[in-house]
Amino acid sequence: MGNIIESHRLSKTYNPDTIPVHAVNNVDLAVEEGEFTALVGPSGSGKTTLLNLIGGLDYPTGGEVKIEGVDITKMSENKLIDFRLKNIGFVFQAYNLIPVLTASENVEFVMLLQKTPKNEREKRAIELLTEVGLKDKLNKRPSELSGGQQQRVAVARALASKPRFILADEPTANLDSASTENLLEIMAKLNKEDNMTFIFSTHDQRVIDKARRVVTLVDGKIISDTKK
Amino acid sequence: MLFKIAWRNIWRNRIRSLVVIAAVAVGLFAGMFIMAFFQGAINQEIDSMVQTQLSHIQFHNPAFIDDKEVNDTITNALAIVNRLKKDPNVKAASGRLITTGMIASSSTTSGVEIHGIVPEDEKLVSSISKDIIEGAYFAGIKKNEIVIGEKLAGKLGVKLHNKIVLTFQSKTGGLTAGSFRIAGIFRSRNSNFDQTTVFTRFDDLAVILGTGAGLHEIAVALKDGQKTDAVALRLKREYPALLVQTWTELSPQMSLLSGIMDQMMYIIIGIILLALMFGIINTMLMAVLERQREFGMLMAIGMNKPRVFIMIVLESVVLTCAGIPAGILFTVITVGSLAKHGIDLSAFSQALSQYGFSNFIYPVLKQSMFVPVSLMTALTAVLSAIYPAVKALRFKPAEAIHKI
Repeated sequence: MGNIIESHRLSKTYNPDTIPVHAVNNVDLAVEEGEFTALVGPSGSGKTTLLNLIGGLDYPTGGEVKIEGVDITKMSENKLIDFRLKNIGFVFQAYNLIPVLTASENVEFVMLLQKTPKNEREKRAIELLTEVGLKDKLNKRPSELSGGQQQRVAVARALASKPRFILADEPTANLDSASTENLLEIMAKLNKEDNMTFIFSTHDQRVIDKARRVVTLVDGKIISDTKK
Repeated sequence: MLFKIAWRNIWRNRIRSLVVIAAVAVGLFAGMFIMAFFQGAINQEIDSMVQTQLSHIQFHNPAFIDDKEVNDTITNALAIVNRLKKDPNVKAASGRLITTGMIASSSTTSGVEIHGIVPEDEKLVSSISKDIIEGAYFAGIKKNEIVIGEKLAGKLGVKLHNKIVLTFQSKTGGLTAGSFRIAGIFRSRNSNFDQTTVFTRFDDLAVILGTGAGLHEIAVALKDGQKTDAVALRLKREYPALLVQTWTELSPQMSLLSGIMDQMMYIIIGIILLALMFGIINTMLMAVLERQREFGMLMAIGMNKPRVFIMIVLESVVLTCAGIPAGILFTVITVGSLAKHGIDLSAFSQALSQYGFSNFIYPVLKQSMFVPVSLMTALTAVLSAIYPAVKALRFKPAEAIHKI
């Protein structure tokens, strides 16, 4: 299988002119389609920064990121937004749902941005929320859902745009054990059955245990890369 | 869905949004009420001038307008008056002799314009007969009756039935005088008019002036004032030797005042909206800064900058425009009620009468102002959203997502 993500000598340095902080330091990483990869490491090791760079949320100060051979670091901000919409799904630590929309509308929203017809949007939103076990919560707003349920809506939203891969930044950090277990099962199932590529940062040993590949970062550098 | 998001977002902070909506509603009410008030006052002023002085159309000998010479009378005036009375568009026509002179009581004198009228005709053209507060409108005294204003009576120190003397130039050029007895005292809306205009019977004045059947002015009241221009145009063609003027031509300053009211309205509403704009900018800016993480997320998942911009503008427009119906409704109810009962300004009656305004102002609301005022408000909302939207567009998704 080919690499879906490749980074070459990827670097991100904050405050380069004063006190430089090398958040990501010459990272070479290749991720194949269908991987279930965990980025691990202590706080400040550069996990979130690396995910931001891979996801095109930030520009590197050196190196490149290629998504299916396309160097996204050379793209303009507007093109990058469009690229993210079509290719990347995001799951954030703090769920980050639109609070004024229902679960179903949150999932539909990303398809609306893709100009998917209304009927198709509604159908797919129901399918995805059913898939993450929230069929009975379609019309609930985020404030009416538990943290675990909100994060499952976020996963459904990430899947809604039919992305090439999903980036999840500490997806279980705010969840209790049961919700964490539940979310991991859903993500693992999507990875196994739909061959969806997942890259997630985590501190959580239970999440690390589920990963099939574990990349460890320290001070912005990869110090180990283990495939199970 | 963007509209749905905008509508729901404005209710996330209910109190803050209600304050803005209330500010817009009150601002629009204030602007439209002021305009309705002035429109009413000006309409009343115009009505007053048309009814007491100008009438809808006037005829003159063209030479009379320049120097007001006694000799510059209208040829065949009575025949013209009689013909005008038969015109289907004309309600009434009244011939006037007009000259300027001095009025003297036993204690003092004053300059006045003397109108020699046929009371039966004049009362159909002018409202002075209804403004009599003492005595009668030419009734009860057989010869040389005069009707004067309350203000002039006060100045001269005279009362009803007192004698006064009018001195003026006769047709032959010499000074002539006549003794008149006060038959009635009037009080119109315009105290200046009351102090400078007196009325005598046409026959009495014509004898002293020596003008015979000549008239200086023919005042015409129409059945429908809206047709003034059309009727005047026809009459100008029918009487090319005479100067036929509408009230707008006779009093261009009143016509101008009426004309600039619309522009005044837009200026006043514009100033109110400009003040409101700062409140809306503040509210939208707070909303944007509070939701940095949300905007970061929206841009992260693929919402492009034009859409983010539109979303914020839409939110501002929805928030602001929610105040428009409330403002219009409040104005319609308030002005509707005051248009019936009037606004009592009798506490300022002396100052108001100096300018010819009534003690009661009946505001007039132009419904045609609703659409442009609504559009101006929507434009204010769009302009108010620009700075907050630009601020949001500068957020970096990677940083904004992690903002607390």
